[in-house]
Amino acid sequence: MGFVALEGVGKVFQGRTGSWEAVRDFTISLEEGEFFCLLGTSGCGKTTVLNMLAGFEAPTSGRILLDGKPVTGPGADRGVVFQGHDSLYDWLTALDNIGFGLRLRGLPRSERRATAERFLKMVGLTGQGAKHPSELSGGMKQRIQIARALANDPRILLMDEPFGALDAMTRAVLQAELSRIWAETKKTVLFITHDIEEACALATRVGVMKRGPGGTLKAVVPVDLPFPRERTSDGFMRVFREVHALIHEEIHGGH
Amino acid sequence: MATSRAATIAGYVAGFLLLFAIWHLAAIYLVRSALFPPPWPVFERAWLLIEDRILQEQIVASMRRILQGFLIGSAVGVPIGLAIGSFRPVRMLLEPWTEFFRFIPAVAMITVSVIWFGIGEESKIFLIAYATVFVVIISTAAGVGAVGRDKIRAAQCLGASRLQIFALVALPATVPYILTGMRVAMANAFVTIVAAELVASNDGLGKMLWDARLFMQIEDIFVALISLGLLGFLTDRVFRLLIRAFAGRFNPTM
Repeated sequence: MGFVALEGVGKVFQGRTGSWEAVRDFTISLEEGEFFCLLGTSGCGKTTVLNMLAGFEAPTSGRILLDGKPVTGPGADRGVVFQGHDSLYDWLTALDNIGFGLRLRGLPRSERRATAERFLKMVGLTGQGAKHPSELSGGMKQRIQIARALANDPRILLMDEPFGALDAMTRAVLQAELSRIWAETKKTVLFITHDIEEACALATRVGVMKRGPGGTLKAVVPVDLPFPRERTSDGFMRVFREVHALIHEEIHGGH
Repeated sequence: MATSRAATIAGYVAGFLLLFAIWHLAAIYLVRSALFPPPWPVFERAWLLIEDRILQEQIVASMRRILQGFLIGSAVGVPIGLAIGSFRPVRMLLEPWTEFFRFIPAVAMITVSVIWFGIGEESKIFLIAYATVFVVIISTAAGVGAVGRDKIRAAQCLGASRLQIFALVALPATVPYILTGMRVAMANAFVTIVAAELVASNDGLGKMLWDARLFMQIEDIFVALISLGLLGFLTDRVFRLLIRAFAGRFNPTM
């Protein structure tokens, strides 16, 4: 059994207009230290998978294990980077946002500060620590989110389309930074995206989901390419084409 | 920064000068009635009342009541609003109350308040507190309800307890709503104090309005009206300054 295991996980939402099956019989196993990209079209249930692993939502069937122990709710062992930047605390400086998890644990101010500075540097924002989120650009806010999650030293980092709202240039820069940070920290990462190129550039394995409703894992493509990824290389093109074909079937093909 | 502040103040001064100019023209050329005096005699009368320390006494009397009632109303309203916003059972229990009482205006409570508390300070302070408390409750509760889901989720997966989420996330996220509610409540307090002093009081700007009406001292009426406008204006500026100092730093829309 892997470090993280989802076994036959399903989620049915009960709404006013009836029930909605977001995820059906979803099974994966993540190894410690790998970068797993979960790729799918919108509405395929990929964010629901992340929310269940984070503990924000309980699965209606199957089970989720982290290091052999069942996940029952949110916890500090799973850091989350959210899609939007609404999760940052507007009333705190960038540095205090990064140190928030340490503050929750009651660490002394000097220690918090030192750790926060270290992660501020890791995400390339040295000198910006005194600014409030409203004074930072979209890309900088996502960097702060990543630093905040990492400063808390989680066992796994869950990222829900963190670069989805950024322009293409900023996105490319942040993808490269994230690759570097992952290599530095050796964290296990589950990264949700609908961007094929992003998945191929970051992942050690790409999981492609069937389209929703009742989305489930369709195929897992290992990406055996060295970092940093050369996006115009033959190897990258080959992986891209393979993943693209799988996604293409979901957009255009019938079941 | 300094130049923009100077420009703001210059704007205020120009705006007030324009207002007085229009008033002057309207009184001299348009209305031409003893019942609508031009600004100058009103200012003269105001100066006289200031020299005799009569105007200051009325202003202090009214403002003291407003501040006392406002502080009591806010002190009661904020915790109740937080409780309504945070706990479902409290909301279900107390929301009918707030929805019921906020449609009984403080002005309608003057009669009963005078019967209960007499025409002394207590009845006025009660009315101001009453006028304040429901606005503050509703905006505070709305603020708690408006805390972004991801802010709370982020705290949860950083290891926050329920108490920590309340104290370190929900409460600070609600502060701008609380201050905005208090600012609206302050305007309500002005409405209420005048009405209360018109009906039952020995001093204050409302009482001054009432006496001037009785003795047909038309200039005194205008002095009281202008005082109310200026006091309200100044109070609101102070509030905006406070909101900027506490909340505007991270929320440029305030």
